[in-house]
Amino acid sequence: MAAYQLLIIGGGLSGIAAGIRAARFGLKTLILEQHNLPGGLNSYYLRQGRLLETGLHAMTNFAPPGAKQAPLNRLFRQLRLSRKHLEVHEQIGSEIRFGGRSLYFTNDIAVLEEAIAREFPEAIDRFRLLRQTIAAYDPFAAVPWRSTRGFLAEHLRHPLLIDMLLLPLMIYGNAEEHDMDLGQFVIMFRAVFEEGFFRPGGTMRDFLDLLVRQFREFGGELRYRSPVAAVETDGDRVVGVRLENGEQLTAETVLSTAGMPETMRLAAWEGDRVQYAGRMSFMETISFVPRASMASLGPARTIIFYHRGPRLAYRRPDDFLDPSWGVICFPDNFSGLVPEESTQIRVTNAASYPLWKNLAAAAYGPAKERWSRAAIAASEEIIGNYHSSIVYQDSFTPVTIERFTRKAQGAVYGSGIKVRDGVTPWGNLFIAGTDQGYLGIVGAMLSGITIVNQHVLR
Amino acid sequence: MSRDEIKDVLLEIIADIDEEADFASLDAGAPLRDQLDLDSMDFLDIVMELRKRYKLQIPEDEYPQLATLASCIDYLEPKLQNV
Repeated sequence: MAAYQLLIIGGGLSGIAAGIRAARFGLKTLILEQHNLPGGLNSYYLRQGRLLETGLHAMTNFAPPGAKQAPLNRLFRQLRLSRKHLEVHEQIGSEIRFGGRSLYFTNDIAVLEEAIAREFPEAIDRFRLLRQTIAAYDPFAAVPWRSTRGFLAEHLRHPLLIDMLLLPLMIYGNAEEHDMDLGQFVIMFRAVFEEGFFRPGGTMRDFLDLLVRQFREFGGELRYRSPVAAVETDGDRVVGVRLENGEQLTAETVLSTAGMPETMRLAAWEGDRVQYAGRMSFMETISFVPRASMASLGPARTIIFYHRGPRLAYRRPDDFLDPSWGVICFPDNFSGLVPEESTQIRVTNAASYPLWKNLAAAAYGPAKERWSRAAIAASEEIIGNYHSSIVYQDSFTPVTIERFTRKAQGAVYGSGIKVRDGVTPWGNLFIAGTDQGYLGIVGAMLSGITIVNQHVLR
Repeated sequence: MSRDEIKDVLLEIIADIDEEADFASLDAGAPLRDQLDLDSMDFLDIVMELRKRYKLQIPEDEYPQLATLASCIDYLEPKLQNV
C-alpha cells in the first residue's frame, strides 16, 4: 500500500488549496515544498526585519460575502474557510496611464465607464456593449484559441482604448506575448474591472498561515526543504517520488504544481519542454520610503499601470528590462489599512530571462543595481521623485523567481499552452497551477481545487 | 437512521458547506441548488461528505436523485437504515 493517497509537489497556492480539498475528505495527503516557506510565486521573504512580499500586489475578484456565485466566495466554501476570517481591504483606486491619457478605476465599474465617457466619448457606447458581450461569454467552454485583439478590434474599434484596457489585464494574467486568448481575457476583465482589487488584512504570511493551518487541521502533512528529484513511474502509472536527499515516498496519486517543463523533467517525460516555457517574466523593484514623503507623489493610488510608448508591446524585452511600461503598486494604499511609518513602492517591469540567466556571477549584482535604478527612474517619470527618500530597497529578477519557484525561465504565468484538464500520460499524475490555466492567487487556488475535484475525489 | 435524522444530517452538512444557507423557507420538494444558490462544486461536497461519514458510494448517474431535500431522504433512507 502506498504511504500517501495524494502527494502534492509544491506548497504554493494551488498546491495548498488542492491539499485542503483532499485532506478535508479524509485522504492521507502530503505536500512537498522545496523552499522553507509556503506560497511559491506568492510568498514573502525577510530582510533586515522587514517582510517583503513576492507576487501579490493585490488579489483580484473582489466580492462581498453574500455573493454566493462569485469566484472568491466559491473558493472559500470549497476550502471551508469562513469569509468571517478574512479581513478584506478594497483598493482605493487605480489608474491606467498611457502616454498623456489616463483611465481611473475602482471596484465600482461605473467609475471606469465615466472615465471612458470622458476620455473617449466616441467609444463609450461600444464599451457598454462590450461589457454585455463579456458578461454573456462562457470562458470555460472548451473552444479553440481565439484572438482577443481581433475580438476587441471588432467590438471597440479604438486602438488606444484597446491597448489601455489590455495593459492591466495582460500584466496581471497573460502568458502569451502580444495577444491573449479570448477566454483568458474574459476571465481577467471580470476579475479586474467587474470585480476588482483587494488585499487580505495583514501580510501574505498571514494569508498563507490561514491556508496552511486549515490544511493541517484536516490532517494534511506539509514538509518544507523537501525538493523532489524525480517522479518515479512504472509503465503508465506513477508510484511516487524521490526526494533530493534520496528518500522515496510512495503515493496513489501525484499532483504536480511545479509547472509543465519541470514536471516533464521530474518524470523523464518525453516531449518538447521548450514549448511549455513561457517568455514573459518580470523584475520587481521594492522601495521603502517614509510615509511622510508620499505626500509629494500625487493623489493616493493603489496601482498605476503605465505605458510610455505609442503602442502596447507586451513581450519579452530585447534588453534586461523594459522600464518604458510596467506597474507601480502601493501596497499600503488599500482602504482601511493603518498607515505605518514607512511605506512601500513596488515597480514591476518585463525582463528578459535569458539575459539575466547568462550573466556571470560577478556581473549579476551590478546589473541588478543598475536596472533597479532604471526601474525607479522610469516610475519617477510617472509619480514624481522618491529615490532620495528610499530607506531600504531590494529587487528580484526572473532568475530569482525560477530558483525559488521552479517556474521555468521565471515565467510567472507559464506558457500560452495550457493543460486545461490537468491530465498527463500517466493515469495517476496530474498538473495543477499556472500551467493548468487559471492565473493569479484566486485562479491558482481554483486550479488546485478543480483538479482534485475532477481527478482525485470522484 | 430515521427520516428525520437523515434530514438533520443533510441540513448539518449543507450548513457546514455554506454558512449563509437559510433553511427557514426551504421547500423540501423543490430543487436544493436553486433555493440555496449552490453550484455543482458545493453539490459535490454534499456527496463527498456523505461518503466520508457513512462510506456511501454514490455513482454520478444517481446524483439527480439528490435534487431536493425530500428526494435525498428517499434515496438515503434504505442506504442508511443500519446506521
